[in-house]
Amino acid sequence: MDTVTKAVIAAIVLILALLIGYPLIRILTQAFGADGMETLRNVFTSSANRTVLLNTVVLGILVGAVGTAIGFAFAYAQARLDFRGKKLLHLIALLPIVSPPFAVATAVITLFGRSGLVTNKMLGLDYNIYGLTGLTLVLSLSFFPVAYMNLLGMLRSLDPAMDEAASSLGANRWKIFRSVTIPMLIPGFASCFLLLFVEAIADLANPLVIGGDFTVLSSRAYIAITGEYDVASGAAYSLILLLPGLLVFLVQRYWAERRSVVSVTGKPSGHVTLLRSPLARIPLLTVVLSIAVLILAIYVTVFVGAFTAILGVNNTFTLANYKYVFSGIGSDAMFTTTILALIATPVAGVLGMVLAWLVVRKVRRGRGALDFLGMLGLAVPGTVLGIGYALAFNKPFIIGNIQLLPALAGGGAIFGGALAIVMVYVIRSMPSGQRSGIAALQQIDPAIDEASTSLGASGLRTFRSITLPLIRPALLSGLTYAFARAMTTLSPIIFITTPQTKIMTSQILSEVDSGRFGNAFAYCTILIAIVLGVIGLMNLLIRDRSAPTRLN
Amino acid sequence: MATALSTTSKTIGTELPSGSLHLDNLVKQYPGGASAEPAVAGINLDILPGEFLTLLGPSGCGKTTTLRMIAGFETPSAGKLTLDGEDMLELTPDKRPMAMVFQSYALFPHMSVFDNVAYGLRLQKFPKKRVEEEVNFALTSMSLTKLADRAPNQLSGGQQQRVALARAMVMKPKVLLFDEPLSNLDAKLRVQMRTEIRALQHKLGITSVYVTHDQDEAMSLSDRIVVMRQGRIEQVATPEVVYRQPASVFVADFIGRANFIDTSIGELIPGAEGTRASVHALGASYAVPAHDALQANSHVCLMVRPESVLLSAAPEAVEVSGNQGRVLKSVFYGAWVEYEIETMAGNVTAVSYDPAPGDILQAGTFVQVSFEQDRAWLLPAED
Repeated sequence: MDTVTKAVIAAIVLILALLIGYPLIRILTQAFGADGMETLRNVFTSSANRTVLLNTVVLGILVGAVGTAIGFAFAYAQARLDFRGKKLLHLIALLPIVSPPFAVATAVITLFGRSGLVTNKMLGLDYNIYGLTGLTLVLSLSFFPVAYMNLLGMLRSLDPAMDEAASSLGANRWKIFRSVTIPMLIPGFASCFLLLFVEAIADLANPLVIGGDFTVLSSRAYIAITGEYDVASGAAYSLILLLPGLLVFLVQRYWAERRSVVSVTGKPSGHVTLLRSPLARIPLLTVVLSIAVLILAIYVTVFVGAFTAILGVNNTFTLANYKYVFSGIGSDAMFTTTILALIATPVAGVLGMVLAWLVVRKVRRGRGALDFLGMLGLAVPGTVLGIGYALAFNKPFIIGNIQLLPALAGGGAIFGGALAIVMVYVIRSMPSGQRSGIAALQQIDPAIDEASTSLGASGLRTFRSITLPLIRPALLSGLTYAFARAMTTLSPIIFITTPQTKIMTSQILSEVDSGRFGNAFAYCTILIAIVLGVIGLMNLLIRDRSAPTRLN
Repeated sequence: MATALSTTSKTIGTELPSGSLHLDNLVKQYPGGASAEPAVAGINLDILPGEFLTLLGPSGCGKTTTLRMIAGFETPSAGKLTLDGEDMLELTPDKRPMAMVFQSYALFPHMSVFDNVAYGLRLQKFPKKRVEEEVNFALTSMSLTKLADRAPNQLSGGQQQRVALARAMVMKPKVLLFDEPLSNLDAKLRVQMRTEIRALQHKLGITSVYVTHDQDEAMSLSDRIVVMRQGRIEQVATPEVVYRQPASVFVADFIGRANFIDTSIGELIPGAEGTRASVHALGASYAVPAHDALQANSHVCLMVRPESVLLSAAPEAVEVSGNQGRVLKSVFYGAWVEYEIETMAGNVTAVSYDPAPGDILQAGTFVQVSFEQDRAWLLPAED
């Protein structure tokens, strides 16, 4: 290994240690301190805390199951059913990815809450959406696109020859579905379930908005820190959150992915015959279309709500919500958030690509560890990350008498705490760059690098003139995800946001908290517009400069 | 860093006869316990300037690892590698005056055919005009001129491999390295390409090391063949010697087809045209060409190629005994017929070329079996 590579590895490890290693260590030291240990013991002895733990697990399981089921229904309809409007359905299924977490929760409350448009005004019900039902609904709708994309990819890569083989052996469509399709997808189901489980238990925004009395670990940790000023307990709760998160992440990544039985031959031997039978179409399409309508209703609610005084109560058209968002605090938050995300995105993208390059091409021993270190930003629940950052960076970093770093987060920090927020954005977004980079690099035959070397190019030269141009599309999608993720991140931000540095997501939360849904809807609409706008711009910029020939 | 004048930089257009590659006890041991067998267990080779040398062997025999150590993509665990007396192991692969052609072609997918071929020359900072001349000459000699502006994914497999060849040859390296370059092509194209490679290599006179597991390829291309097995060299010789006088049962079996008959040497008989060894096989005595490794009264393995087996009708015969055998299978291939014959020494494969109509023996027929003793070869008995 040459010195350049070694230096790059050292730099990356140092950056990761600062961005994620140190905050996690601070959580551990706090949680295992005297006060933290007290809380840890209480979690299993006090019945209130046991309920919180049980609630978290139940929520995770429900969202995992429901989200995977919805994702599968959408994916199967998309891949195997014959109907019109597939493109539209695809876009609807992806909508929740680019929206901030409260958009769905707030809209669901407006539609189905105690005085909800549908439940109360239309049906006259006295229905309470707050709690487990609401949380399951909102979280499943928010996270199912992940399952949808995964399962759609798997369904499309199933070799149609297997269906044909089963069919020629005398199996009918239903039998094929049960005995070929479903068993082949079991690792995919497991992997999606686990992913959604982790996302659900790690989420903080929705339990705060629609959780009601149903307390989960993340909201408990939030209350401990912001309400009870008990940092040690907060650290202890988040530690309990961290462990299943990491465990499930590891299992999902290194077991489910490896056990994938999907056969990628790269040369499909036939075409899938799309299902036309009404017996299959009617029930499946009913389910899928009702969910699609629900999603659309939610986003229409967000959009309309932003132009309405109080949707469902006072339905007069108004621009006051936008005026509020565009003036003063609102515009502040808008600009700050966008700029910080724009700073973080390229950093995260490049870091992710370099890490992917090291993992796939350069590092042999310890590549798993390096990969895992990079993915930690995704595996660690946002709540945990935020508490870790607050613990680690609220005070100057001092070893002995030497101050290595000034305070980065909190009120007294440099740049009004903006640096810590950028750091959170980077570590949170980097894994998406890393993942797409690894996928792209694994598609590139190592012999292409070697051919370049053999023709006299140095390692750096090969990376610049061969590798980088080839992974440009992956870089683009990595950057896109990184930006969307940064803009919509809430849970870690809540713990380190400061009066000087206002972030849109945490502004939305405070609007929702004080019942000003109109403002929240306006924020959400603008946030979605910014994300879509910047993604479109990035597409244009990077596409234009891309190579003349397309890759296969 | 190498200067333009240094021999360690990739120089092209070397006029002096050069390209003498010397491998001295090259070893590759992958980490994973000292008990594990090394991938390459000490290879010694002297490759002459302009020679076409093929490393041949089954998968896992260490041939590709050896090639990659020469190229610099693998670092040897021990041993020396010199090119015209210059130590190669000190140089990173990009500094070695060699160019490699890959099994997967490894064309740069984001560059046109022209840019692919020009890549190495441009790295040398050649003037634009010179690059154009060299590339156009290379493209012309590979009949690729019309495809210069195409992208690699618009080419057929054979065209892609031609581009890969042009890209390596345009560098005028001292050594060309080939890693199974034809194995992704279909059979007819493979035959055509190997003729082209051989002709081009002859014309340019560049020392070439070629890795393959295809014996036809090795036979048709090589000045010398290196047969490898489990990280070691079994034999280094010209294609004819490797076929006619293999060094071991492994070589005889891997190259072409062979019948092996366990027997013993009676005595060694000196003669004007060399010593012969008397052996008893298939119910008769033969005097087979002997060589230094043989001793009188020792146990040996007699190798007879199927085309050296002689069959004649035995209408009287009713059982398998002595030199009498029975045809078990008879398969017509057009230009030849292949028989499997049950004999006292086990089943023997025989081939009869261009059989006259009506001369083809049917299964169940009894025959007298013998062989051309001048074409047989004696091998040390395998355990």
